[in-house]
Amino acid sequence: MEIDVRRVAKLAMLEIPEDEVEKYEKELSRIVAMTEHLPEVENAKTLIDTENKMQLREDVVEPSYPRDAMLKNVPQAIAGCIVVPKTVE
Amino acid sequence: MELYKKSAAELSKLLRSKEVSACEILDDTLARIEAVEPQVDAFLSVTAQTAREKAKAVDAKIAGGEAIGALAGIPVGIKDNICTKGIATTCASKMLENFVPPYNATVMDKLEAADAVIPGKLNMDEFAMGGSCENSHFKPTKNPWDTSRVPGGSSGGSAASVAACEVPLSLGSDTGGSVRCPAGLCGVVGLKPTYGAVSRFGLVAFASSLDQIGPFGRTVDDVAMLFGAICGKDSAHDATSRDYQFPGMTEGVKGLRIGIPKEYFGSGISEEVKTSVLKAVEELRMLGAEVVEISLPSTDYALSAYYILSSAEASSNLARYDGVKYGYSGNRKGSLNELYLTTRSEGFGAEVKRRIMLGTYVLSSGYYDAYYKRAKMVQRMIGAEFEQAFQKCDVIATPTTPSTAFKLGEKMNDPVEMYASDVCTVTVNIAGLPGISVPCGFGEGNLPIGLQLIGPKFSEAKLLGVAKTYETAKGGFAVKEL
Repeated sequence: MEIDVRRVAKLAMLEIPEDEVEKYEKELSRIVAMTEHLPEVENAKTLIDTENKMQLREDVVEPSYPRDAMLKNVPQAIAGCIVVPKTVE
Repeated sequence: MELYKKSAAELSKLLRSKEVSACEILDDTLARIEAVEPQVDAFLSVTAQTAREKAKAVDAKIAGGEAIGALAGIPVGIKDNICTKGIATTCASKMLENFVPPYNATVMDKLEAADAVIPGKLNMDEFAMGGSCENSHFKPTKNPWDTSRVPGGSSGGSAASVAACEVPLSLGSDTGGSVRCPAGLCGVVGLKPTYGAVSRFGLVAFASSLDQIGPFGRTVDDVAMLFGAICGKDSAHDATSRDYQFPGMTEGVKGLRIGIPKEYFGSGISEEVKTSVLKAVEELRMLGAEVVEISLPSTDYALSAYYILSSAEASSNLARYDGVKYGYSGNRKGSLNELYLTTRSEGFGAEVKRRIMLGTYVLSSGYYDAYYKRAKMVQRMIGAEFEQAFQKCDVIATPTTPSTAFKLGEKMNDPVEMYASDVCTVTVNIAGLPGISVPCGFGEGNLPIGLQLIGPKFSEAKLLGVAKTYETAKGGFAVKEL
């Protein structure tokens, strides 16, 4: 199984240095070969997890974390706002 | 008094009879950590100051005649993927090296309410991905039984710190065997609770449908004590947590049916492991249990299904690390895409990248049906087979790991071989069941071997009861002198 490491890395937002592409290709091919060992099962119903039904939380207002506390971990914040690179040219 | 050698139950008794104070217990713990850390490297951070404040508060409560919690004064080490308010929670990753959570995981609030003392955070494989604790960005942890060998993973620090008597108790997390495998390799007791028995709120997500927090200890009583303190419904935060209270262990094994699945004793399992595990089962039979042969035919597919499901969930869960809101931030001078790319490429280690890429691949267009959907179906098959098996038996006994602890570096260049270390444990996560690893002897080089006991959902009382019966018959488990 050939794996297009560059394409997968792009989808995963990862940059793989050119000299490591071959290594990742080999490793991922071996891992994928391992995971290909699965039986053919044809029964879509089995996908529904009846025991763990989706639960929705009550939509009620709760106290939030203090803004200052949340911003402490932000790499860059100015005037209480999170800074990101310019996204619109 | 060498308090560090004592179990949590013994420490609790000494504290309650006022023979020792919480501060004395903490002093002894910190001295022990200082003495053996150079050999073991289990801790990523030691939080002496906050621990001291808590120990003093416990002592003040006792002096004032106030009621104290179930774990009062007991040091509990915490795996570094469990959020601790105001204390760095790194996941052993460069990505979260400077992350200080503004909130506590639910288990931390429960430990606080139980008056436990937290002496520090423990090493692990980065983002809990790995079976040897060598994938830590910071350092590998060593197995106290032979410091040239791995402690297992991913909760290697949690297992090693307990085995080295640095702490009597610790918490880890188990997504495919990350509590049970290191417990087995380090000769301690480790419980992976039923999915939903313990709140996952504040546990940094790896594979949300499989992750579960679990306790380590040197005795079964201690593990039961910690499990009792952390389990239960967390309706505010975790929709998958169940309204479960630990009723206390069952007693004895008379009439108990122990299932032996032949698929877990195949060619991949070393002879010394098979022999030890079957000997332990024989000992349980002598104590009154009945042994029945069972079959779990889909076991062969479990490892494949596990790596597909867990990596798929990981690729989605780890998409949040973008260098914007918290954690490592890459090149901020270029475009937003460059920020994402550099953050993730520089912040994640090699194994995490492999898993993210595997997950991305199996979920990508054209491959989803072949991998993810089939793996989900295998998950149902495995669950159904366990349900059938539990018609014939009460608990299932298997090895915890295929071999004893391997050498540091031995499997680092072969991810597939490393993944095979989880072959006996992943089915339990896939089916959402509880499993416990109990020491059951030693292999060549005096390396511990683990017996895994698996039960139906919410059968922790029985699993711990069987483990306790075995422990009592053996006269307790051996502790390594360091």
